[in-house]
Amino acid sequence: MPILPHHFPLLKSDPRSSVFQIQYFRTTAAYRDEVVTVRTPAFAESVTERDVRWEKAVGDTVSEDEVVCEIETDKTSVQVPSPVAGVIEELLVPDGGKVESGTALFTLRKGAAGAPKAEAPAAAASPPTSATLPPPPSSVGPIPTAMPPVPPVPAHVKMNRMRLRIAQRLKEAQNTCAMLTTFNEVDMSNITEMRKTYKDAFLKKHNIKLGFMSAFVKAAAHALADQPAVNAVIDDTTKEIVYRDYVDISVAVATPKGLVVPVIRSVDGMNFTDIEKAINLLGEKARKNELAVEDMDGGTFTISNGGVFGSMFGTPIINPPQSAILGMHGIFDRPVAVGGKVEIRPMMYVALTYDHRLIDGREAVLFLRKIKSVVEDPRVLLLDM
Amino acid sequence: MEFLVFVFVSHCCSWIDVRYLEVRVCLKDAMMSHVRRTWSLGRNRSGVSCRTGSASIATCSGDAALVLLSRSNDVFQNLALEDWIEANVDLQRRGVLLLWRNRPAVVIGRHQNPWAECHLPAMRGGGVPLARRRSGGGTVFHDLGNLNLTFFSSKTSYDRRRNLKVVTEALRQLRPALDVRATDRFDILLNGHFKISGSAARLSRKSSYHHCTLLHSADHSALANVLRPSCPGIQSNATPSVPSPVANLLDHAPTLQWEELLDALVRQYNAEFSSSSSSITVDPADEAAFPGVAAAAAELRSWDWTFGRTPKFRVETVLQLADERTAARCSARLQVEVKGGVVESCRLDVPADWLPPRLSGELSGVLVGGRFCRHRAAAAVTELTRSESGEARSRLKELGDAVLTAMG
Repeated sequence: MPILPHHFPLLKSDPRSSVFQIQYFRTTAAYRDEVVTVRTPAFAESVTERDVRWEKAVGDTVSEDEVVCEIETDKTSVQVPSPVAGVIEELLVPDGGKVESGTALFTLRKGAAGAPKAEAPAAAASPPTSATLPPPPSSVGPIPTAMPPVPPVPAHVKMNRMRLRIAQRLKEAQNTCAMLTTFNEVDMSNITEMRKTYKDAFLKKHNIKLGFMSAFVKAAAHALADQPAVNAVIDDTTKEIVYRDYVDISVAVATPKGLVVPVIRSVDGMNFTDIEKAINLLGEKARKNELAVEDMDGGTFTISNGGVFGSMFGTPIINPPQSAILGMHGIFDRPVAVGGKVEIRPMMYVALTYDHRLIDGREAVLFLRKIKSVVEDPRVLLLDM
Repeated sequence: MEFLVFVFVSHCCSWIDVRYLEVRVCLKDAMMSHVRRTWSLGRNRSGVSCRTGSASIATCSGDAALVLLSRSNDVFQNLALEDWIEANVDLQRRGVLLLWRNRPAVVIGRHQNPWAECHLPAMRGGGVPLARRRSGGGTVFHDLGNLNLTFFSSKTSYDRRRNLKVVTEALRQLRPALDVRATDRFDILLNGHFKISGSAARLSRKSSYHHCTLLHSADHSALANVLRPSCPGIQSNATPSVPSPVANLLDHAPTLQWEELLDALVRQYNAEFSSSSSSITVDPADEAAFPGVAAAAAELRSWDWTFGRTPKFRVETVLQLADERTAARCSARLQVEVKGGVVESCRLDVPADWLPPRLSGELSGVLVGGRFCRHRAAAAVTELTRSESGEARSRLKELGDAVLTAMG
């Protein structure tokens, strides 16, 4: 085990200030800012080579007994904890490097646990009120009582390329499209009732759950067939309007791993069941990490469901190269006027953001109203209304 | 909280003697726990199992050792239980033996590279999960025909040879004709040639554990399909696995029942460690009994632990590309450096006449900073292809697919 002077940290409350003082009471004459070298522990069983795997990096603050690295030897993983609290100064062996008993592993500069990292002094430009010098950047010793609490350093994380790319595309969309949003509300009573009546039988027959997405996807497909402009897109390079005779609907799904937008292909020919099956299949693939590029490519229209997070109202942003996006929100009971009387109905706000260069206001409103009418009364589909 | 447990005890005589034992467990204070057992471990001992709370396991006094049998077959729950026992049970004076088995799963060692050790697409297709354990060593394929034994002890009492002696002695007593021997590398060989057990261990700050497998009746056919690399061209200094020919005990001792094996192991453990503990069945999903175990299992399931802990490695491989419309073909070179499971740098050398360098450059750029994971990369590639059209788009897609295949 590493050889170090033993010390006892005491936490005292100083009545003169609001800051806890951390005092070190040592049994040896070791100094506060001492740099300590930690060595590879010895093993009782003599073995083959040992590899070091680092858990911490240079500059990391560690507390006493916190694991700094692990040594793999002979199918055994041995933890090497830090003997004292401090900041890692240098790693003396590369990751995966070989060591033997007693080989120096890393050096550590002793200091108070939990002190901010070495970059903190740069951000803590606010000068201390007392005349005492601020602690030198490399040391993280206990702070004098007069020092005001330093605000936490905001972490600066470089944007990765994918995020940069998406950001760029979204901004391009905003800059080229004349984006506008129209709203409406949907009375979910009928569809809720239909679902309640049939969900068990549906599950039994088709082995998947009956949700609400199929209604909206089908409604959108129906409305898109009715208003081809919403299914089209402007090609800015050739200044043409590209009308598409197929309907592929992208469904935005927020997974813990990020936003994915799988596409349901040729929705115009599908019924509710086919759509639920397709959604289910894509969901399975997403869960199993098997979504391929083909599953997410293309799409002529997007549906985004903020309702799963409880969103009430909002303006979705178009997902280029498309011309419109439907935003679904949460279903909340609201008092509404029905036949001259006030009733409580489960209501959902829906929003359609569209490219006004291509789609007129009238078309957009009628499109959204058609979606509303289908979801409020699916019989509309049977009658092709 | 107190509860009473009724236990059937069989005496060494032929009739059954029923004794009522009172197991008073004060889970709140974790102060008092008395498990007074009066049964004897004779040949007629019936399979006794009772549920006790964490307090009794953590502070139970009296026995020199404790034997636990996990009722879960979920590899993550069982590994989390190992962590829990190691962190919460006082092992200074007394050891613990945990017996467990899992539904099919691949378990890699603490410092291994999953892409190099197993075929992730085959595992996804077969519904076989991947787990990274906290002990060192190589990759194993677990299934219900494989018994896992974990010997917990203090660091001073850590003795793998002694633990393996428990296993070999138990087997010798069950089937004296079998030639089972432990090797220098802490494997157990059958007939001097077939490996029926492999070991791994972990020495942490307070205590230690040594766990080993024991092949009773595992399904080896699934093994070959799953224990091969996910992608070619991996260069890494992660701990490699050492493949060995394996065999099942059942093939050489066709009448050896699972229960029989468990009983013999428990008996031999008690004999070796001078204790008289009967096996206690525990449920690693019981948060009340093992506070914090669900969070531990969740951590073990996370991508960050399973893949993110891979030591830095690089992949260098050649991609064969074919444009399905024109039947044009070419080769491209891919070089990726992965650290912490995340792409640190990516370089794609694609002939300029096949795809404009701007596009192949964008593709490699968009992968940097993302996880070395097909799912994430697919989303990134889609972002790129959406803005392209025509031949450039289909070739970009083709290149993207080839890169994804190289990610396993």
